[in-house]
Amino acid sequence: MLTTKRPVFTELGTEAIDKGLADPQLSAFYESMMSSSGLVNENLREHMPYLSLCSDKLEGIGPPPIFYVGRRSSQRSLFGDEWAMQQGQELRTPDPDLEYASAEGYRAALSGRPYYGYARTALHLEGGTIEIAFERLIMTLRPSAHSDRRFCAYFGVIQDLQQQ
Amino acid sequence: MQTPPFIPQSAYFHEHVQPGDRRLKKLKAEVDRHNLTEMWDMILTLDYQVASAHELSHETKEEFYGIIELLLKAFVKE
Repeated sequence: MLTTKRPVFTELGTEAIDKGLADPQLSAFYESMMSSSGLVNENLREHMPYLSLCSDKLEGIGPPPIFYVGRRSSQRSLFGDEWAMQQGQELRTPDPDLEYASAEGYRAALSGRPYYGYARTALHLEGGTIEIAFERLIMTLRPSAHSDRRFCAYFGVIQDLQQQ
Repeated sequence: MQTPPFIPQSAYFHEHVQPGDRRLKKLKAEVDRHNLTEMWDMILTLDYQVASAHELSHETKEEFYGIIELLLKAFVKE
């Protein structure tokens, strides 16, 4: 149960995954991508529904814009199908405070170090405020060995959620 | 009487199909131009499990186009 309103975004480090402390599906994704050195292969298919993908474009204070939200991803379950498929502008999470607080993890991942951490915060959405706790893994991937393209894959696991 | 122009069968597109194909062609050209072809292929093969966007149903195609439009916005500086 959530007991505090103070936002927490803390890095646990991927050692926690190696020690078996992370969510099993998140761990499976991490191990699969580490074994391919961050290169996309067939093994990514089974993880796609749980991922959100964003570019490597870090501008301003927020994380890069999102282009893909998996059908069973934590972001889709939090923000909804309509948000995930919106058109007309860059796709970003609807809470500016969350955007700002989560950016550090993307910066770490884009510097070449997979980011694994825990977050507990209040989300201010149109329908009200939600208190949420989640673990999150952010990795930078490349579509092929010879590609100069890279993108971020976000795997979030909601541990607790309470509507205020 | 004037002879009507010859139009080969392959040049015929049903009026309801043509706009979608135009959108596909336009998006693919944009993706290629911005060096995002591998990302296009990755989403098609890993998520939709097809080799070409032509294999997608109408409804799925619309969803795929939406993702590609977000892809372009996410990577291309405006």
